[in-house]
Amino acid sequence: MRFSNLTPTGIASRLIDLLIGIVTLVAIGALWEYLVQNGHLNPYFFPPPTEIADELEKITTVGFPRGVTIFSHIQATVLRILKGYAMAAVLGIPIGLFVGSRQFLDRAVMPVVTFARSVATISLLPLMVAWFGVGELSRVLLVFYGCFWVIMTNSAFAVKTIHPQYIQAAETLGASKTQIFFQVMLPASLPRIFSGMKVALGLAFLYIVAVELINAEEGLGSLIWEARTFYRSDTMMVGLFMLSIFGFALAQGLDLLEKVLLPWAESLEEIER
Amino acid sequence: MNEKIRIAGVFKSFKSRRNEESVAVEDINLTVQTNEFVTLVGRSGCGKTTLLNMMAGLLRPTDGSILIDDQPVDGPGPDRGMVFQHSALFPWLTTAGNIEFGPKNQGVPKAKRREIAQELIELVRLKGFENKYPRELSGGMQQRVAIARALATDPEILLMDEPFGALDELTRSEMQSELLRIWQARTKTVIFVTHSISEAIFLSDRVIILSPHPGRIRKEVVIDLPRPRQLASQEFLQYYEEIQSAIF
Amino acid sequence: MRAETFGRDLWIGWLGVITVLVGWQVIDMLGIFDAATVPGPIDVIDLALERGPLDDLRTHAYASLRRVIIGFTMGAIPAILLGIATGWYRWLGKILWSPIELLRPIPPLAWIPFALIWFGLGENSKIFIILLTAFFPVITNTYKGMISIDPQLIRAAQTMGLKGLRLLWRVAIPAALPDIAVGMRIGLSLSFGALMAAEILAAEEGLGAMIWRARDTGGGVGIIVYGIILIGALNLTIDYLFNQYVLKRQLRWHFSEDAN
Repeated sequence: MRFSNLTPTGIASRLIDLLIGIVTLVAIGALWEYLVQNGHLNPYFFPPPTEIADELEKITTVGFPRGVTIFSHIQATVLRILKGYAMAAVLGIPIGLFVGSRQFLDRAVMPVVTFARSVATISLLPLMVAWFGVGELSRVLLVFYGCFWVIMTNSAFAVKTIHPQYIQAAETLGASKTQIFFQVMLPASLPRIFSGMKVALGLAFLYIVAVELINAEEGLGSLIWEARTFYRSDTMMVGLFMLSIFGFALAQGLDLLEKVLLPWAESLEEIER
Repeated sequence: MNEKIRIAGVFKSFKSRRNEESVAVEDINLTVQTNEFVTLVGRSGCGKTTLLNMMAGLLRPTDGSILIDDQPVDGPGPDRGMVFQHSALFPWLTTAGNIEFGPKNQGVPKAKRREIAQELIELVRLKGFENKYPRELSGGMQQRVAIARALATDPEILLMDEPFGALDELTRSEMQSELLRIWQARTKTVIFVTHSISEAIFLSDRVIILSPHPGRIRKEVVIDLPRPRQLASQEFLQYYEEIQSAIF
Repeated sequence: MRAETFGRDLWIGWLGVITVLVGWQVIDMLGIFDAATVPGPIDVIDLALERGPLDDLRTHAYASLRRVIIGFTMGAIPAILLGIATGWYRWLGKILWSPIELLRPIPPLAWIPFALIWFGLGENSKIFIILLTAFFPVITNTYKGMISIDPQLIRAAQTMGLKGLRLLWRVAIPAALPDIAVGMRIGLSLSFGALMAAEILAAEEGLGAMIWRARDTGGGVGIIVYGIILIGALNLTIDYLFNQYVLKRQLRWHFSEDAN
């Protein structure tokens, strides 16, 4: 929601916005606290910020369930995401590039891909469990499935939408077909591939949490579910809060990565406007 | 002076998806001398870009032949440099990177490439902008880089497809003078496409007028004036009228 | 796809689908996998014909659809209204952005445990999750649509005497509609996924619940596969319908193929 300028007034106005944001949150927190103190809100239904902060401290030190600190939970979640996501990228990008560059393949494959994508990924979980049991494998495979199609279709689309003049220019400069592929088609596809990877990471996050809620012992999702069985709504809130921070950090991290890796690209959103 | 380009009896038609045939150009006969500056003018649909693309080797004539140095054209190549209307600079490469692209793919060693790029950057007056990305450059600057890039492979022929068409009027006139200056420093055979009559008269030795539907050569006008040419001079205006009446 | 190439693209597309189906059937017949765990397409179709008209499937499908539609509407409408309000009155946007940005990264499913606390095991907990899922993409896209209205359109309207709410209603909102529609499409499709997970976790009725419990009700993997395909088909259909009737028809001034 923020489009920033780096002018002095730009920075000042961003700081003001940030300030307003913080003030709003503090105000909401204070109101919440007040309502709970005065019995207007049930703390079980709406754990107030003080309780949440308390619990956050406990989870970092003692852990919940006992012995499993918040860091182990985060680590478990992150590892699962990484495995599924990495596999999806390693397979999805080359396959997508390949399919996208061959018109016949692209047309033949697209209907199948469209259907595969529309299958609600979560609905595959029972199938994965039936085939591979309740362990890590089914979880990672689920994430893999969900991310693969997004990355693949974005990569294919990236190749399809390369401006033909880039290729023509390269040809008139004497580049061979291989040279054109590696030196023109690949870099030209990068912005869109990256955008697909951003979306896929967001989805991976969604799927992982869903899977952890359903059946896992460690991980942010399972933290929340476990807390529920113990009626610990304050712990649940901590879990949600961590998810928010984590998700936000992920998104920011990727944006930063994009600026670093692709400094030459105007963001696709700007172009698409 | 000998014949650099010889186009004989060229006919080009396209089959639309409905299987209809549409003729882009027909009966094109044209000879271009070495180091001549020739402009193709005409309204939209007269086939000037198609003709240029055939010379570049990006399209093949349906019938007829295009010979360069008496050899038939067989696909695009670094001997015919091309400048496009929308620069088509590779956005992921800097100015220097773009210019070095051609030589790099020809296997020219790094040091030599650097040298070539430096020379050309100075020639197009972009010193200091070696490490800028295209998105950081203005339209006129981008076209300078495009010209430098096309010249980097030392082509004998330069093909230019409305290179200044996307620029504003002021930048456009500036670039026209720049192009002449560059051309006089690195003389090449130039085929230039435009739909601006004054641009054609300002730049070329010879103007070829094409008429549309189907594209045919209507008239050839030799511009016999010393450069730089004065836009308001009487001779200029006479040529303008002559060409204009041939187009309309 | 242009009209001229539609025929050809269609048969190539079918070729792809048929290849996959045939390949699947061949693998099944080769017996590489145990037929009970990995059914072939023909087995699934058999099952479908057997089970299809069965009442309980209809109940499940109805339960799911009902939740999606109610949840989506309850999520999308406030989102659109808020999106327009925050886009038009920037000060409102500044105040509201921090709670929204704080809540947005949280996967909607993570709210299920709270939804159960607040609403119990009934319909409302699932509807709440759908509501949340639909809310964020719609508000984000609506907001983006509002702030990226071409300022020249606004100026042109102002020179014709429009201002205030009339300006908003007659110019700004129509200009932002394509983005709003895109947001809705995304929200709709995400809602489906969220619904499935919510049903798996906490429901007895609904397609998600059906496939999760299939392991116990003795339908075997066939039911699961059948359910998955059904869910996929449903998702596609709804998305297709939305695309055709909302995007292509009502908003054809923006989304028609020629405009691209």
